[in-house]
Amino acid sequence: MPAKSRFTRLDAFTKTVEDARIRTTSGGIVTLASLFIIFWLIWGEWADYRRIEVHPELIVDKGRGERMEIHLNVSFPRVPCELLTLDVMDVSGEQQTGVMHGVSKVRLSSVSEGSRVIESSALDLHSDSTKAAHLEPDYCGSCYMAPAPANAQKPGCCQTCDEVREAYATKSWAFGRGENVEQCEREGYAQRLDAQRQEGCRIEGGLRVNKVVGNFHIAPGRSFSNANMHLHDLQNYLADQGIHTFSHHIHHLRFGPQLPDSLTIGSGVNMPWTNHHLNPLDDTEQVTDDSLFNYMYFVKVVSTAYLPLGWERQARVMSSADNAALGAYGQGTDGSIETHQYSVTSHKRSLNGGDDAKEGHQERIHARGGIPGVFFSYDISPMKVINRETRSKSFTGFLTGVCAIIGGTLTVAAAVDRGLYEGAIRVKKLHKG
Amino acid sequence: MMNGFADRDLDESNFGVSQSSNPKDVLRTFDAFPKTKATYTTRSSRGGQWTIVLLVIVALLSLSETRRWYAGHETHQFSVEKGVSHGLQINLDMVVAMRCQDLHVNVQDASGDHILAGERVRRDPTNWSQWVDAKGVHRLGRGRRRRRERGGPGMSGSSNSYGDSGDAAGQNAMDPLKPEELDDEHVGDVMGRAHWKKKFPRTPRLKGEPTACRIYGSIEGNKVQGDFHITARGHGYIEYGTEHLDHKSFNFSHITNELSFGPYYPSLVNPLDSTLATTDSHFYKFQYYLSVVPTIYTRSLKKLAKLESQLAQQFHKAQAQLSSSSSSSSSFFKSSSSSQQQQPILQPRTLADLPASYKTRDVVMTNQYAVTEQSLLVGERSVPGIFFKFDIEPILLTIAEERGSMLALLVRLVNVISGVLVAGGWCYQLGGWAIDVLGGKRFKRKWLGAGTRRESEGVLHGKMEADEE
Repeated sequence: MPAKSRFTRLDAFTKTVEDARIRTTSGGIVTLASLFIIFWLIWGEWADYRRIEVHPELIVDKGRGERMEIHLNVSFPRVPCELLTLDVMDVSGEQQTGVMHGVSKVRLSSVSEGSRVIESSALDLHSDSTKAAHLEPDYCGSCYMAPAPANAQKPGCCQTCDEVREAYATKSWAFGRGENVEQCEREGYAQRLDAQRQEGCRIEGGLRVNKVVGNFHIAPGRSFSNANMHLHDLQNYLADQGIHTFSHHIHHLRFGPQLPDSLTIGSGVNMPWTNHHLNPLDDTEQVTDDSLFNYMYFVKVVSTAYLPLGWERQARVMSSADNAALGAYGQGTDGSIETHQYSVTSHKRSLNGGDDAKEGHQERIHARGGIPGVFFSYDISPMKVINRETRSKSFTGFLTGVCAIIGGTLTVAAAVDRGLYEGAIRVKKLHKG
Repeated sequence: MMNGFADRDLDESNFGVSQSSNPKDVLRTFDAFPKTKATYTTRSSRGGQWTIVLLVIVALLSLSETRRWYAGHETHQFSVEKGVSHGLQINLDMVVAMRCQDLHVNVQDASGDHILAGERVRRDPTNWSQWVDAKGVHRLGRGRRRRRERGGPGMSGSSNSYGDSGDAAGQNAMDPLKPEELDDEHVGDVMGRAHWKKKFPRTPRLKGEPTACRIYGSIEGNKVQGDFHITARGHGYIEYGTEHLDHKSFNFSHITNELSFGPYYPSLVNPLDSTLATTDSHFYKFQYYLSVVPTIYTRSLKKLAKLESQLAQQFHKAQAQLSSSSSSSSSFFKSSSSSQQQQPILQPRTLADLPASYKTRDVVMTNQYAVTEQSLLVGERSVPGIFFKFDIEPILLTIAEERGSMLALLVRLVNVISGVLVAGGWCYQLGGWAIDVLGGKRFKRKWLGAGTRRESEGVLHGKMEADEE
């Protein structure tokens, strides 16, 4: 023992000398049990400390001049690729009619043959196959009274069937099957249409749009704008009355990159649905037998950022430049992701108008007219959701927790032990007495 | 020290040092809680008083802890609404100071649908004075709800009533006169009232001339931006074969008893409920701009999550059914008529679509809305009327009131009790020790009394000194 210092008098932890102590079996059991409980609780505390929580925040979206990517994958089992057109329009006045870039059309065999993939071709009508390469050098195809398109291969001429179609579109003339049009007969346009009549089509890919209110739609026939009207050449679609319908199956529809699975699976109670369901239209299907049917989806897009742990410590290079590759837009080098979630309301109507009596709403009268097709009209919410990964506890918090566990458990165990001991003595006394 | 234990007349079993391999004895050696033999401990009245004080503190703290647990805590969560929504129910109960046959009720929305709401709602002729007394005060204002009044041209009532609610929000929440805007902010209030009766009240029996019309009922609209309006016959919609309505009979003064979206919970208070707007002009256009926010009140997030996973299951089941049926009827071309008759497969896509058997009392799905009013006198060429323009917000608000688990409460209680006891014991000892160090023996006596625990420790202490020598 060290020499008795004057600190001895200050000892607040007075101890009972060993002689006056009693050890009991019950005390031993309680000790072991409390040790076990302590380890168990500390383990829980550790797990809690290591756990990463996703903490959602809601802010006003302060981004400016952003772009947004639409990734879609939709099957139309009863409309051939030749007839389908994808157009994008927004309130800024930007129109992308007959979108080609980044989107491909996959030909599907007819429904009776199981809608299998026939061929995948980039959505590019100006492909080499349709180019009239073998034409004589001084050949100048007639545009049949329509003005030649500005981007024609040979100025003032319509060399291909496609250019004739485009020329017709600028005049807002219906084109039909290209009968009596030399270029089309040469290319076998009508045969191609006939061959594909029973086929389906899948449109897959992505496109980049301005982040403003807009809409994109998939409708039959070539589209053209005329005096602020957006029109589609429906002649071919309607010619095969009853064959084509806009039954469709949306495999995917998302705005921006996919959120990582870890974000949505691990976060427990607050997000019971998987990623799959965060894009509510994924894997939905609509079936109709009416070729004059219009589906509308009213989509409200909410910006969502996903910031993984430690994102602020790294230099942040967000590939939001316009030249980013399609699909890479919004993905930071540090794993942070700028994407969008959406809520959606679906609506369908027959172009013949009529009421909704079939669904029990006689009072609901649908508008008449319009274009058959699938329309997505999207609206941008001013709010932005930030999903931030955080540690639920700091290290000191963890230490405090450990101390609380040890202290609390030991105190309670001491009380229990004391009770057992006193109880045993009472019982003993009773037996003796 | 160990060597001396036999002299002190102590049984070997009192210490854990025996070499026996008896498991009981082995266990005994682990006893980390040394108990002092009763003969070595003393009790003092001062210590007893201290114990009682501590017990009172423990009881108070435990009580408050339990109360806080019982009250639960409220969380507000925002998420983007999941699933594909479709319809939106509009519940309406209004009195307009015009005859029923002169009124049209319609909804037009962004999907191009025109809903003849007039066919869905009930229209009861009534007398305006039955709803408004001589002073122009709305009689439904009696009872729980406080009524707000809005006048016609040149009134400023509405801004006032919103203004003082803002002031009151800062006041004590226990204030029994708290404004109704705050009534529905707490899950408990909402849950309590959401399960009251769900019928529209009956129209009081007509007394005197039918000068007004009560329009009430629920309309199923599309969940898209829309415009719900009440207009006069022959104005706004083109009609044939009806005589022209005299402009002098136009009076779009109205009382809104209820305007809500989603399932009808009459007892939930919405901003437009029990409001009165009057005008003396015949050509007056009341416009309300509503932003509808889908809201879920729940008592248990777990139940909500369960509901959502059930929904996901149901959805996938329906999806599988749908795709199998569509592939089985792949011979669309031959039998398009037969597939048209096939039963529509119910595809639940949002929580509201779930069949009633899944509904629980712990989850209330409704919609709140914010409203601004913009009313103006219009010229004879415009269409007067009451217009509700509504838009749906994409962000879903989940307000959850949750109670921690019973176990968590127990842990907390144990923490409180042990903490107080330990801290109290320390204070007691520290107090004694401080007196020991600072004061003399006389003072010590006075503090601790004779024959205290402190003294017994002193004895042991002395013994230690003896050992050292």
